[in-house]
Amino acid sequence: MAPFDLTATLGVTGSYLVYLGIGFGFGFILESSGFGDSRKLAAQFYFRELRVLKVMFTAIVVAMLLVFWASALGLLDYADIMVKETWLWPGIVGGLIMGVGFILGGYCPGTSLVSVATLKVDGMFFLLGHVVGVLAFGETVGYINEFWNSSYMGRFILPELFGLDIGVVVFLVVCLALAMFLGFGWIQRLIYGRGDPE
Amino acid sequence: MNALFNPRVLGAGFLLAAAGVLALYGQPDLEQKWAFMAPEYASRLEFREVYIDPAELLRLINDDYIELVIYDVRDERDWNIFHLADSERIDLKNLPTQRKRLRGLSELGVVVVVSNDEILATRAWKQLMALAKPNVYILEGGINHWLNIYGVVDEEHEHGTASLARPDGTLRHPFKLALGARHAAARPDEHLVPHREYTEKVKLLKKVKKAGGCD
Repeated sequence: MAPFDLTATLGVTGSYLVYLGIGFGFGFILESSGFGDSRKLAAQFYFRELRVLKVMFTAIVVAMLLVFWASALGLLDYADIMVKETWLWPGIVGGLIMGVGFILGGYCPGTSLVSVATLKVDGMFFLLGHVVGVLAFGETVGYINEFWNSSYMGRFILPELFGLDIGVVVFLVVCLALAMFLGFGWIQRLIYGRGDPE
Repeated sequence: MNALFNPRVLGAGFLLAAAGVLALYGQPDLEQKWAFMAPEYASRLEFREVYIDPAELLRLINDDYIELVIYDVRDERDWNIFHLADSERIDLKNLPTQRKRLRGLSELGVVVVVSNDEILATRAWKQLMALAKPNVYILEGGINHWLNIYGVVDEEHEHGTASLARPDGTLRHPFKLALGARHAAARPDEHLVPHREYTEKVKLLKKVKKAGGCD
């Protein structure tokens, strides 16, 4: 039953090659989806182009269905999948800061690396800012230690929040994604009189 | 009609259908999950790799390095009569409440489940494996075997030896009083009990380096 211990199966070098392949594939998909271009990424926030929303949510929904179908069929132990632990308020504040940075800079950390790989100058400056931000945070986090470690909820997932079965939550998330595609498309046509290019 | 055959509409319909069927199909419960896991882990039961001797449990109880959790899955009546010191009584149906705690155990964490024999404890072991795969073991022969070895044989307690040949899940030692963990056998002094040879089966996820002084 997955997840498998790649290091035990393929050895350290073999497992690193697999990680490299996955990373390369992820970067390739991001670049070929246009995520290496800050103008396309920023356009999302003005409803000019909805490709970020469509690509990301399609990926989330497809991955989510694969994970939970695999779990339902006994191919994967979901309890062994690493889920980021929740620190509620620090997470919300961090998300807001990252959102502002995304709008201002036109990239998120992952897409900035993709843009650097294709030698885009704005991506290089964004990455530089990213590194400076990480260093500044590392040097100052001691001052906000109490807040930084507050509202810890452990491994907390939506079915626990809503008290619903995982399958029902998966279905609701798929409905939410489709509703967003339709709703944002409607807003886009309302503002610009056109949808995304085919 | 053509709009229905648009690849986007078809894709959205497929995702919605897959999610709808998943919601109806549901996720496996602990028993189903164990059935999925059995090919990988059932051999540990078959070859008795996880059944630990009472002497090994006594060593664990007295080892301050180890984060030991003892779950006693017997009913309340037997628990009140006698139980191991520091053990926690829990019904099988309530084991899922322990998921977070088990996941939070350190690499020095060891879980031992006990019942009167091995029947209930083995069921609990399967559930715990399906729940969180902790480093979990079963007390060999259960409380009956423990009392055979560490039970105080005197007039007051009237212990003797319970047969382990036909385990039926009952407590087969007679007790005049329900002493719980106040019974002398609940935490026998390892220096006073007779030495007992056993095969060590507990493997920690992290090696403990025992050293004294300034090491």
